[in-house]
Amino acid sequence: MKISFKINGQETTLDVDPQMPLLWAVRDELKLTATKYGCGKALCGACTLHVDGDMLRSCSIPIEYASGKNVTTLEGLPESHPVKQAWMELQVPQCGYCQPGFMMAAAHFLQTHPNPTDADIQTNITNICRCGTQSRILKAVKRAAELSKK
Amino acid sequence: MTEDKKINSRRNFLKRGAIVLGGSMVASYLGCNPMRRFVAQTAEGMDLPADISSFNPDFWFQILPDNLVLLKSPKVEMGQGIFTGYAMMAAEELNVSMEQMRVEHANTASGIEDALGTGGSNSTLSLFKPIREMAATLREILKLGAAAIWKVPVAQITTQNGILQSGAQKMTFAECVAATKQWTIPKTPALKPASEFKYIGKDVKRIDLKTKVMGTAQYTIDSHFPNMAYATMLPCPYFKATLKTVNTAAAEKSPDVLKVVQKDGWVAVVAKTQYAALSAAQKLEATWDVPQMLQQAALEAMVTVGKGTEVNVQKVGNAKSVLENGAGKVYKQAFRTPFGAHAPMEVNGTVAHVTKDIAIIVLGTQQPSITKSLVAKALGINKKMVDIQIPFLGGGFGRKGMMGNVVETAQLSQIMGRPIKMMFTREQEFQNSFYRPLTHHVLSAKIGEKGDIQAITHDQATPDEVLKFVTGSTLPLKLLGADFISAGHGASLLYNIPNKSATVWGTEIPMPVGIWRGVGMYPNTFAVESFMNELAHETKKDALDFRIGLLTDVNDSIAQRTKKVLEVLKEKSGWTTAKPAGVGRGVSIANDRKSIAGSAVEVAIVEGKIKVLRVTQVLDVGMILNPEGIRSQMEGCVMMGISGALYEEVTVKDSQVSMSNFHEFPMATLADVPDIQTVILANAHEPYGVGEPPLAPIAPAISGAILDLTGKMLRQLPLKI
Repeated sequence: MKISFKINGQETTLDVDPQMPLLWAVRDELKLTATKYGCGKALCGACTLHVDGDMLRSCSIPIEYASGKNVTTLEGLPESHPVKQAWMELQVPQCGYCQPGFMMAAAHFLQTHPNPTDADIQTNITNICRCGTQSRILKAVKRAAELSKK
Repeated sequence: MTEDKKINSRRNFLKRGAIVLGGSMVASYLGCNPMRRFVAQTAEGMDLPADISSFNPDFWFQILPDNLVLLKSPKVEMGQGIFTGYAMMAAEELNVSMEQMRVEHANTASGIEDALGTGGSNSTLSLFKPIREMAATLREILKLGAAAIWKVPVAQITTQNGILQSGAQKMTFAECVAATKQWTIPKTPALKPASEFKYIGKDVKRIDLKTKVMGTAQYTIDSHFPNMAYATMLPCPYFKATLKTVNTAAAEKSPDVLKVVQKDGWVAVVAKTQYAALSAAQKLEATWDVPQMLQQAALEAMVTVGKGTEVNVQKVGNAKSVLENGAGKVYKQAFRTPFGAHAPMEVNGTVAHVTKDIAIIVLGTQQPSITKSLVAKALGINKKMVDIQIPFLGGGFGRKGMMGNVVETAQLSQIMGRPIKMMFTREQEFQNSFYRPLTHHVLSAKIGEKGDIQAITHDQATPDEVLKFVTGSTLPLKLLGADFISAGHGASLLYNIPNKSATVWGTEIPMPVGIWRGVGMYPNTFAVESFMNELAHETKKDALDFRIGLLTDVNDSIAQRTKKVLEVLKEKSGWTTAKPAGVGRGVSIANDRKSIAGSAVEVAIVEGKIKVLRVTQVLDVGMILNPEGIRSQMEGCVMMGISGALYEEVTVKDSQVSMSNFHEFPMATLADVPDIQTVILANAHEPYGVGEPPLAPIAPAISGAILDLTGKMLRQLPLKI
């Protein structure tokens, strides 16, 4: 089935099983690989992306849901995006695998929480990291909030 | 060097228009070292060292045309920051800027063979001298090249930021390479003294920072070849089960399925898309022969002090006699740690492209050399035809030092005649792994009438972690005959107690266990340091001063460095300040890979749960390479340590791991982040391990704080109140 949508601002059409998770469509069909597979059950957030401004865990959303919508992956955030800049400044990543999901979660979170407290971040960003970058992520989200105001 | 070798070296140098340090030189640096290091380190009860040989080394460095320097790393980057450390070492001696450095993994077809892989917190120390020596040699080669071009004495040439200079004449390293036809290889030059270091010891940003933030960093799962198909295996649902029957009819009819392959007792679905393969695999109907239905209680009974092969790893004085005779009180306790899962965020997986000329294997592995041999054997081809290409690892923690699905993926590619990508599902990752073995510990101490500790014994029961993975007939391994260099790592007692004894009871259990970050140091530190907290409590002493009081041997450098770590912990953690109400304080140390790690924590009970409020982490790394990288590892260890102390536990029921995905294996999250303070000390002359040592002290420091707060000792991980 042909499904048309916008990916990072570009119109695209895929001819795939409409039930294919958006994750695999983005990664394998569109070759945008920042969005990662982590658990397949919307538990870890490694596959987090935005669809029409909503934050979604793409491993558990069928591609047909994206039909006619705007999908944004980490590749769609500019290098100057406050979240990317804060992640650079705080040197957050270790292995780096979970970071695109965290950054996409943070970018969405900051839209509704321009002045976040630790508690706000801890309640709203529930992604998983194994290397133990959580303390830097907390700092980076707050730094991104500051950078967003500049 | 013979004339022939000189010609060969020259050819290698000019290969791809780049300067290359050829095989003979690499061999001269590393050829005889591994065995010497191996013997020395096992004698000290440490873990397996690096063993980098030179079977087919092509290059370590390339000068790229745009005057960048590419370093091929034999050790893998799995988040620990080794690429950055190696770039610093090289830049230091090459006199190039960090911005000019590029680092990639050596691939096994053209790079160096690293027979023992990446692990044991050994990557920095093992190549600290070799990389600098090779970089210094390359710098001198370039200077000799420039001297020939300019017809000036080499002594007149200086190097800075990748530029050669003599008086007013300047050229880049790349220009020198382009203009030089014949190279001269000098003797190994002297290395810079520490006083002249420009990068070593200074904060340097991760060399892989930008690619990881921008999302362009490539992991196994991101690899792609034209005409690639996707596969998924029918997971074996029970330990050591064999496939009895499988009905593949429904899977074969599933959309976009190319083939259902059965081979050597396994079944895999190959399809046009990942989704099609995963969907079809759900339709496989299999029955299994299960040799025995293993239960958690039975496994714990197997791993119990007194059972298995007894190996005494430490004996000072006569602890047994002192415990059994004379006045004083015997204090004895038992501890347990659970099976552990690595749970790297990137699941295991492989991309294989096998053709008649070469088998390209894209694989995030800590063991490229062993993997190459296994793939060659499975495919029935020469090892020279196998190229293991390593992308970034999305976490390793030991799991990627053991096998995933590389052999099956390579065979599928051979059978299908096209590239194959096959990733584990998260469920396979949890259920088809090599788990950190559960352990049992019994500790006894003789407390004299004045509260002095006269004797201490530690018995650890543990399954083997490492030896079963080591192939070949390396003599020291056979002589050791026990696993105390891995699962037993940290079993020995550090404190200067007059009578002490440590014994490892090696057992075998019928489920797959293996290497986990820190190997034996993790369970042993929990048991030994928890017991030390209990002894302090029992003798009514301050837990930190109690330890300092037992580090009395002025000739024991480890003891003295440990004492220093404790003194710094005391000061930096505010150990002697008034405690807020409802807060408990705990402390622990670990002597691991010659690094000394110490943690002081503050905990509270919040809504019936243990909450870690503050962690002060001190690490004596010997010598500091990159403080920023060390801090990052220390913070990571704090979080992984909290995760292990409070949440993580793998249990077994009916020969299956009870955890299938993250909802059944809770780990620390953003909500668990304490106030973390890190302090780095440098009280030796070499850069020791950083990736594992800071992990071990966290759990016993937390249990010590619970003891301080509640008077109750928790002797089993995860800690539950």
